[in-house]
Amino acid sequence: MKFETNLQKLKEAVTLAEHIAGIHITLPVLSCILIEVKKNIAMLRATNLDVGMEILLSVKTHEEGVVAIPAKTLSSFLSQIPDQNHVVQLELISGNIQIISAKTRGVIKTMPIEDFPSIPSIPDAEQFTLSSELFVKGLKSVCYSASISSVKPELSSVYVYKDAGNVTFVATDSFRLAEKKIKINIPSQFNDILIPSKNVSEIIRTLEYIASDVQVASNKNLISFKSGDIYIVSRVIDGVFPDYRQIIPKNFSTEAIVLKQDFLNALKVSNIFSDKFNQVHITVDPKGKVFEIQTKNVDVGENKTLVDAALTGERVEINFNYKYIADSFQSVDSDSVSLQFTGLNRPMVVRPISGEQSFMYLVMPMNR
Amino acid sequence: MNPHSKMWQTALIEIETAVSQANFSTWFKETRILKEEEGVIFLGVPNSFTQEWLYKKFHNSILRILRQMNDGVRALEYVVVKDEEKRGGESKKNGFVAPTLSMPLQDFYINKEDNLNPRYTFDNFVVGPFNELAHAASQTVIKNPGHTYNPLFIYGDTGRGKTHLMQAVGNQIKKLYPDKKLFYMTSERFGSELFIAIQENKVQQFKDRYRKYDVVIMDDIQFFANKEKFQEELFHFFNTFKDSGRQLIFSSDKHPNIITGLEDRLRGRFSAGMVVDIPEPDLESRMVIVRAKCATHNITLPEDVIEHLASSIEDNIREIEGIINVISCQTQLKNKQLSLNEIKNILKNNTKPKKTLSVKEVVKIVSDFYNIDEESINNKTRRKEVVRPRQVVMYILREDFGMSFPSIGEKLGGRDHTTVIHSYEKVKEEIKTDTLLSQEIGQVRSML
Repeated sequence: MKFETNLQKLKEAVTLAEHIAGIHITLPVLSCILIEVKKNIAMLRATNLDVGMEILLSVKTHEEGVVAIPAKTLSSFLSQIPDQNHVVQLELISGNIQIISAKTRGVIKTMPIEDFPSIPSIPDAEQFTLSSELFVKGLKSVCYSASISSVKPELSSVYVYKDAGNVTFVATDSFRLAEKKIKINIPSQFNDILIPSKNVSEIIRTLEYIASDVQVASNKNLISFKSGDIYIVSRVIDGVFPDYRQIIPKNFSTEAIVLKQDFLNALKVSNIFSDKFNQVHITVDPKGKVFEIQTKNVDVGENKTLVDAALTGERVEINFNYKYIADSFQSVDSDSVSLQFTGLNRPMVVRPISGEQSFMYLVMPMNR
Repeated sequence: MNPHSKMWQTALIEIETAVSQANFSTWFKETRILKEEEGVIFLGVPNSFTQEWLYKKFHNSILRILRQMNDGVRALEYVVVKDEEKRGGESKKNGFVAPTLSMPLQDFYINKEDNLNPRYTFDNFVVGPFNELAHAASQTVIKNPGHTYNPLFIYGDTGRGKTHLMQAVGNQIKKLYPDKKLFYMTSERFGSELFIAIQENKVQQFKDRYRKYDVVIMDDIQFFANKEKFQEELFHFFNTFKDSGRQLIFSSDKHPNIITGLEDRLRGRFSAGMVVDIPEPDLESRMVIVRAKCATHNITLPEDVIEHLASSIEDNIREIEGIINVISCQTQLKNKQLSLNEIKNILKNNTKPKKTLSVKEVVKIVSDFYNIDEESINNKTRRKEVVRPRQVVMYILREDFGMSFPSIGEKLGGRDHTTVIHSYEKVKEEIKTDTLLSQEIGQVRSML
């Protein structure tokens, strides 16, 4: 096998694919990127048996062939090559791949290609087009709330479903929950799906790279995104997301409207003194016009910060995990946020005040 | 070990020698034979990658090995199965998040494929004298779906457990006959999907979609009243289904013959199978239901409270459920058992408010019911046909509206309160023995 191609293009493709290739205990070849050169196209392929990816690259072919190159080595090597005349040549010589650019030459050992699996496709599903930018926005707005533990696969996923002209993205680890609605036109036959959160980051990375409309297909087991030269497919969870709508409080007893940045700064200060559980104590007293954040750590010290806020309702004193509140602000794009409280053991609701009202976040309070 | 897994174990031993260790542990470790149907072996695989790779690389070898063991094997299909074993118990090691309360997320409330709620089963279905006929009919349907009672038509007022019963039938059929495809829907869903299908000119797809099921359960059929196009579609749907021996189960709040705005041909078809009624649950059944609901919430209530609950909510099991939810919530909050008084308060706040009726209206309803002159209730006459209704009025005013004895006396022609007490006690006693009287009072109450 021997071909020449644009160094920058190859670099980008290898970087994308490298994130997916990984160490696999039983199948070592999965740590490789498979490059298959046919006619004037090189197809890069990587998978960890949970996500799979194929990238097409136009090349100048001298000799067709297939090779499996360890992804880490290839990617590190390519990223360090000085980018001078933009062209790189790859040639397979007796089981090693030789990479030649203007001033650098490298030889990387390859692996047997026989065991490299194929990437599944979804042939029978109906495809539809959607904007990758919007889809990424939806995923990014909620994916940090998904559970890290894999005990409940439904909770370690992002739930995507269609309702009334919107596509809704939800994720929860049962301590907090993020929901984002985005207006995306998708056909009515789109079934709700659960995308494993560890695959979500790969999907986001790929869709951000694509940054245009993508062809989406899904069935019971898989969802795939395709745009021109790039194809990514992920396993989906065969399960049912919990009926989260019933825990969203319908009304509230106390509301505080604060400037997002003020509140975030106060939380950051208080975090210096928070205990190992990240506990912050929030006091909302509409009568006394006080919104106060308080933390205390017996080993470090303590602090109290007042935040300017518009307050209504009853007085409430409640504890939260600092991290859970702060997390949500990355998805709030308005300057001020509303914090609604319903009672001591009920979740606090965070919503943006102006702009798009499409985001909602619930945080459960702490026990003590 | 069943013959399938034995067969697969033997096959795996042979496969292991033929492929590399890496390949074997990656692709074959988590596979198993799900079932065999007319020579086709269905192989369960953990994910689509495995499915694709086995098909591409090992299909012929696996098939050959299986054929050596069993000549009857014609083909091999791969099915991606959910990995149930990996769901271990709750991990307790997430110490750093532990102090945050977790959300009361309710698990997996409906299955996407058949739309059934797995929580509705016969295990938590209370059978009492009031619903034993409906229960027996459903059991017959389960034994022989599509043949004995087709369609099964269950009717009864809201909150009597129709949906629970129907879904339990669905879940049970699913359990007993995993091959049968079934689907649960509300008639409203059928209607709106049909509506969309008509708009998008896709009626044929709509029909095909539902016709692939072996059992269709349709809830709240009364919403089809006066909707001719829906009824027509349902009629055709019905015929296709029944002719091919597939089971249909319907529910409604009324007997098909008295649903107004229903075409006669549908009416006849509904009645052709088995029509069963779920009437109002009797007191004993209601007490059993209260106990069962308490058990699911892990709360125990004293007998007098249970009896009070069961006697205060008469016709609606869903309401009982709602009240138990409130009680369970408050018990947790206060961290102690609630007293009878507290529970009475909850009842007052949570049951549907009684209509406020004036004494005059009560008198009018009772006298209409007994077909006597309204005035005679207030008169001093002691004619037998008037005395009974008058006592009933007093009893109802006292029992249902909690009026004081003197004011009842005053409103009903200025009688002494002892007269009222006497009448009240008398009716109260007689209800226990006289079923006619208690039925009469029941009917009057339903008219209030």
